[in-house]
Amino acid sequence: MRKLGSVALVLVLAVGAALGLAACGSSGGKEGGTLTGTYASFPSYLDPALSYEVEGWTAMYDTYLPLLTYAHANGTAGSKVVPALAESLPKISNGGKTYTLTLRKGLKYSNGAPVLASDFASSIERLFKMNSPGIGFYEHIVGAEKFAKTKSGRISGIKTDDTTGKIVIDLTNPRGTFTNELGMLFAAVLPSGTPAKNLTADPPPATGPYMITKSEPGRGWSYARNPYWAKANGPRISEVPAGHVDKIDIRVIRNDSTQVNEIERGKANWMQTPISSDLYNKVKDKYEGTQFRVEHPINLYLFWINTEKPPFNDVKVRQAVNYAINPAALERIYSGSLAATHQILPEGMPGHKPFDLYPHNMAKAKELFAEANPSDRNITVWTDNESPNNEAGEYYEGVLNELGFNAKLKTINADNYYAIIGNETTPDLDTGWLSFYEDYPHPNDFFQPMLDGESIAPTYNTNLSRMNDPKLNAKIAKLAEEPLGPQQEAEYGKLDKEFMELAPMVPYGTNTVSTFVSKEIDLDKVIFNPTFGQDLTSFQFK
Amino acid sequence: MASEPNVEVTPGASGNPWRLAWRRLRRNRVALAFLGLFLLIVAFVGAAPLWADNVAHTGPNKTHTLEKIEVDGKAREVVNREGKPIGPQWFEAGGRFFLGADGRLGRDEMVRLMYGGRISLFIGIVSALLTTVLATILGLLAGYYRGWTDTLISRVLDVVWAFPVMLLSIALGVSLALGGLQIGPLRVSGDSIWIPVLIIGGVSIPYVARPLRGQVLSLREKEFVEASVAQGAGPLRVMFGELLPNLSSTIIVLFTLTIANNMLLESALSFLGVGVQPPNTSWGTMIAGGFDLLTSAPLLTVIPSVMILLTVLSVNVFGDGLRDALDPNSKLRLAAHAGISEPEGTAV
Repeated sequence: MRKLGSVALVLVLAVGAALGLAACGSSGGKEGGTLTGTYASFPSYLDPALSYEVEGWTAMYDTYLPLLTYAHANGTAGSKVVPALAESLPKISNGGKTYTLTLRKGLKYSNGAPVLASDFASSIERLFKMNSPGIGFYEHIVGAEKFAKTKSGRISGIKTDDTTGKIVIDLTNPRGTFTNELGMLFAAVLPSGTPAKNLTADPPPATGPYMITKSEPGRGWSYARNPYWAKANGPRISEVPAGHVDKIDIRVIRNDSTQVNEIERGKANWMQTPISSDLYNKVKDKYEGTQFRVEHPINLYLFWINTEKPPFNDVKVRQAVNYAINPAALERIYSGSLAATHQILPEGMPGHKPFDLYPHNMAKAKELFAEANPSDRNITVWTDNESPNNEAGEYYEGVLNELGFNAKLKTINADNYYAIIGNETTPDLDTGWLSFYEDYPHPNDFFQPMLDGESIAPTYNTNLSRMNDPKLNAKIAKLAEEPLGPQQEAEYGKLDKEFMELAPMVPYGTNTVSTFVSKEIDLDKVIFNPTFGQDLTSFQFK
Repeated sequence: MASEPNVEVTPGASGNPWRLAWRRLRRNRVALAFLGLFLLIVAFVGAAPLWADNVAHTGPNKTHTLEKIEVDGKAREVVNREGKPIGPQWFEAGGRFFLGADGRLGRDEMVRLMYGGRISLFIGIVSALLTTVLATILGLLAGYYRGWTDTLISRVLDVVWAFPVMLLSIALGVSLALGGLQIGPLRVSGDSIWIPVLIIGGVSIPYVARPLRGQVLSLREKEFVEASVAQGAGPLRVMFGELLPNLSSTIIVLFTLTIANNMLLESALSFLGVGVQPPNTSWGTMIAGGFDLLTSAPLLTVIPSVMILLTVLSVNVFGDGLRDALDPNSKLRLAAHAGISEPEGTAV
């Protein structure tokens, strides 16, 4: 009896300890619970094929996995490409033109259907069928260009074998950035037969640790754990964490002071929206280190200029605009969170070499404008309605009028700003505001989408300047073929200057963002990936 | 039960209802005081160019982000490095930034308040005029012709009435702000202040046309209309020569009350970003702009809100007074309904 009693005691202690550990989680916090987050606006798209903004990417980073992904880590560690649905990083052969990957076995979508190698091919084809803003990254696949025109048949350069999971991708030319591009959300694998239409309101099944269970555009969306993550995908994909919370509810709250208030009262746990200047310093002073952290994503804030039509088809006019803008004024408009720059490659990006071809000089700007003497001076300036971007737009409009234009400001709701300015049928696309966050840590990313002639698309256009200089296009293409090394970095530095000589845009700064969480969340564990923003799997209740 | 009120009968004035109404209005000191307040507000916004050119030395859209002004011999930044605008300077900077700067762009709040008021009043008055003119025509047509004309007009008005006025205005505002409006050769660009004028003027029509139609239906059965028809007057002559003069007091009262409603609607739409488009300013856009700085610079929200409150209140109280003066029966009806007896000697 006594022996039985001591065994029972040991068992009780062991169970108690196990329960205690489970309650605390393996890393010291609680497992489970519902995370409530807030966004200032609904992402333009909750469809991985269409989303091309950080809000959407943050929302889908842990939901739709590509063959490769970016490490779930802060800072430069988060810029590392790691395998996701693929077993390992691609084997590159044929002089950099053939990429071979193998799908991990036994993977399932959140609806229980198996993930097949052929799904990758159909997912890339879906991009072209939908004129996705990401097609520029995959048009170097053999047969992609033809498929983009016909939108029927298959892309011949993607060969898949559903039995072995083997995926072979043939490129028309070597591409040094293709590994990065396979890790972009555009290349997320969706089931074959997923409709080639915007599925924001009815998101497709997930492969990541979370799945979107409800989407109400304009109001918010919800996640639950993907039931097949624990059963199938999780044990096979060690690079992607399972996440701590069971459910996530995201609500759209336009006003950031309301969002801050909700977090302070514990009604929300995290706000994705950067805090406006009115509250920024107050929140920073009160909560930095405990609930607040400044993040440094690589980005560029700029005004794009449509180089295709008058008056901006004249380089002198574009240069005049560059001289007229004063980045110091914009630093104040962004309340000190913006660091002024006047070049395309931001600090922190390989190849960045500081220069300023157009130091603020209104007299010089007016001189150039007078020389150019454009006949058409009626222009439209586009911006979104989120502060301080709307104020940046108003400042820009004022400067253009001072220069001699008859500029009119058009302020568009942030929810559909990019869809409107990226559609070539929208009238009067002359110039406007844009923020561009890195797609991947490679300088090509700041040239190809925004300045390569091949990126000009009828819808979801990313080359808003409609820049199409054959010589510079060729340089972008050549550099993109080569693996990134010191020589290539120097070449990208030169390319930056060559583009700025043609002044297709007015870059004015790089911005910081913030992570602000409620006191119940362990801030130290929250990961801010430089490309995808806050990692939803990293949020954990204390 | 309401007692019979004393009705003042002025010998010689009974033949001129306008003079009688003016006498009644003159005795309503509250209504006159609020008329005075409204005229003061009109004078205030009318003086915008004078203030801007001679005192503030800036325009409503001129930015001063990096500028400094001299206050008591010391240079002060209009917008500091953290993006906080300078507060009210009253006359310490010679009248510049009297109410401070409007935000990170450093525009003069006082100048914008005056110019914004011009736009708010313009939209309120012109849209009310548009509403009243169109509603009067529709009310006359529907009430006079009855039959299918009445059915058609009334059902169309019912359809507009069925939508919540704010929702309909937002929907129209969003679509027209982007593409503008094209009616035949007439094009109105999306950022024109005529867009909110047309939207607000349009959605308010049923609220004025329906009561007018009812009154026309009643008036057209009166003997003076029958007499006019018997003398050979055509429909237009009857509508505009006989019915319209008898509707005038109602139209005037509805017009003033519509101004107040339309100003409120304009403010709400501009606050939501679908009314007046930046950089044009109205009191509604100023509230929206100030809202971002509510905790650090609350006056940016409070001041335009108070201006809207005072203007709407003044127009409403004056409109009520006008109604009492032009249609004393309405006050009698109200008093009877509320069980209130008129004090002795009160003119109604």
